[in-house]
Amino acid sequence: MGAGRLARVWAVAANTFRETVRERVLYNLVFFAIIMTLAGLLMGQLSIRQDEKIIKDIGLASMELFGTLIAIFIGVGLVAKEIERRSLHPLLAKPLGRDEFFLGKFAGLSFTLLVNVLVMAAGLALTLAGTGRRVDPHLLKAIYPIYLGLLLVVALALLFSTLTSSALAAVFTVGMVVAGRFSDVVRNMREVAPGAPAWLVQLLYYALPNFRNFDFKDRVAYGDPVPLAAMGTVTAYAAVYAAVVLLIGMSTFRSRELS
Amino acid sequence: MLRWLLALVLVPLVPLLQKRIDAQLGAYRAQEEVLYLWSGQHVRRLVPGFEGLAADVYWLRTVQYYGGQRLFARDKKFELLLPLIEITTTLDPRLVIAYKYGATFLCESPPEGAGRCDLGIKVLEKGVAVMPENWRLRQDLGFFHFVFLRDPQRSAEILMEASKLPGAAFWLQNLAAMVLAKGGQRESSRAIWRQIHDQSDGPMKENALQHIEVLDAYDAADALQSLVQTVEQRTGRRPETLDELRSAGLIGRPPVDGSGAPFLYDRQSGTVRVAPQSKLWRPDL
Repeated sequence: MGAGRLARVWAVAANTFRETVRERVLYNLVFFAIIMTLAGLLMGQLSIRQDEKIIKDIGLASMELFGTLIAIFIGVGLVAKEIERRSLHPLLAKPLGRDEFFLGKFAGLSFTLLVNVLVMAAGLALTLAGTGRRVDPHLLKAIYPIYLGLLLVVALALLFSTLTSSALAAVFTVGMVVAGRFSDVVRNMREVAPGAPAWLVQLLYYALPNFRNFDFKDRVAYGDPVPLAAMGTVTAYAAVYAAVVLLIGMSTFRSRELS
Repeated sequence: MLRWLLALVLVPLVPLLQKRIDAQLGAYRAQEEVLYLWSGQHVRRLVPGFEGLAADVYWLRTVQYYGGQRLFARDKKFELLLPLIEITTTLDPRLVIAYKYGATFLCESPPEGAGRCDLGIKVLEKGVAVMPENWRLRQDLGFFHFVFLRDPQRSAEILMEASKLPGAAFWLQNLAAMVLAKGGQRESSRAIWRQIHDQSDGPMKENALQHIEVLDAYDAADALQSLVQTVEQRTGRRPETLDELRSAGLIGRPPVDGSGAPFLYDRQSGTVRVAPQSKLWRPDL
């Protein structure tokens, strides 16, 4: 990718980030702050010696949940809304390729999510420190894969966003995310439906994005070791899967009739 | 502007109406505890990727349910206790506290607990099955077999198993031997409750302390009874009341147990017992 193309992708990304900030996406951090404050104040009294684990669980789950909601509901509008509002036409009239536009949108929302996750991570660390607990750097080993999973959700949302309206794209993305979270059920499908062809089960298992891969929350909350090799493989999985989805998305966006 | 004004006028009506409802129906209305999902596996299926958080929520609910039943319920049933613990431990099989405290909630006699130690033991057995290397859980299983099921043989076996696990406390073997040798004697119970007390904090520590106080009360009753016998041997008659022991200089303080309740003295038989009215009285001791 040449410097000019990179600059154009960067410009779209920066604009997308500003747009999400204008749409008050980062306001979810206020809810997060309230949740963490309440958790910090109440868990010690309510949980019987489980406050540290519960604070970590709540912090990590909030990052994933809020991030996924943002990735889906902002992601599906990134391309579809531009098409529906016809604001895409003047943009593409400029020296800006569809691929650049598409990748810029992906990078912009990814950056928004990165800011979101980092602020939440800082909030979690502050809550732990504020309640007299040790700020565990191993939490990053759960936070990083959560972010990888969010990138994959953004890629899926963008793909569907190029194919259909934002409402339907949201439905499809939610469907993929939910199905990907049930990957263990898919793998063991033949236990409850022995008639299902083995090849179909295998195909579904490998074709659906396995969001279970990005779940290290329990391991980290219990202080279990997370091998770097596993982290590397998960990173590679996210990169390859997201690349495939983005490439399909770029192809469909290119061939989409916009008039 | 008009809409804002209207909203401002209506807002104060909300607390006023709530006050009226509370006055009509009572501020603290009885609320039936309901569990919509009874299987941990079903709940697990509903929250893929968030099992840990769901386990935390169910654990908080277990603690609140137990506390609510123990403190406020007139008819203390604790019937949701087992399913709540089962769901919690299915969602997060490594939540040690849920096995340990859950078993305690189930084992304690009413009104402190459900009085279902058979179920409490099952909870601990589930924990031991999930975490076979956790010596503390196995130790608790051994303790519970002794103090609640009064089964020193099985208790000693389990404590010996626990002592062989990596990192196990050095005193487990001694404790197992003591339990086996002295069976149901209070000395063994006290040693076990002392260990639970030393290893715990919060409600579990308080609970262990209460059990130790109960044992202290029964030991004190025995000591008073032996003093009564001493007086009888010396003077040829039994004291009229236990206060006579104090005036004779045999005891330094009033003959009351740790809760402040006077001991029950039967002059006819010369026996001294913990009074049934005392907080420290236990029917099975």
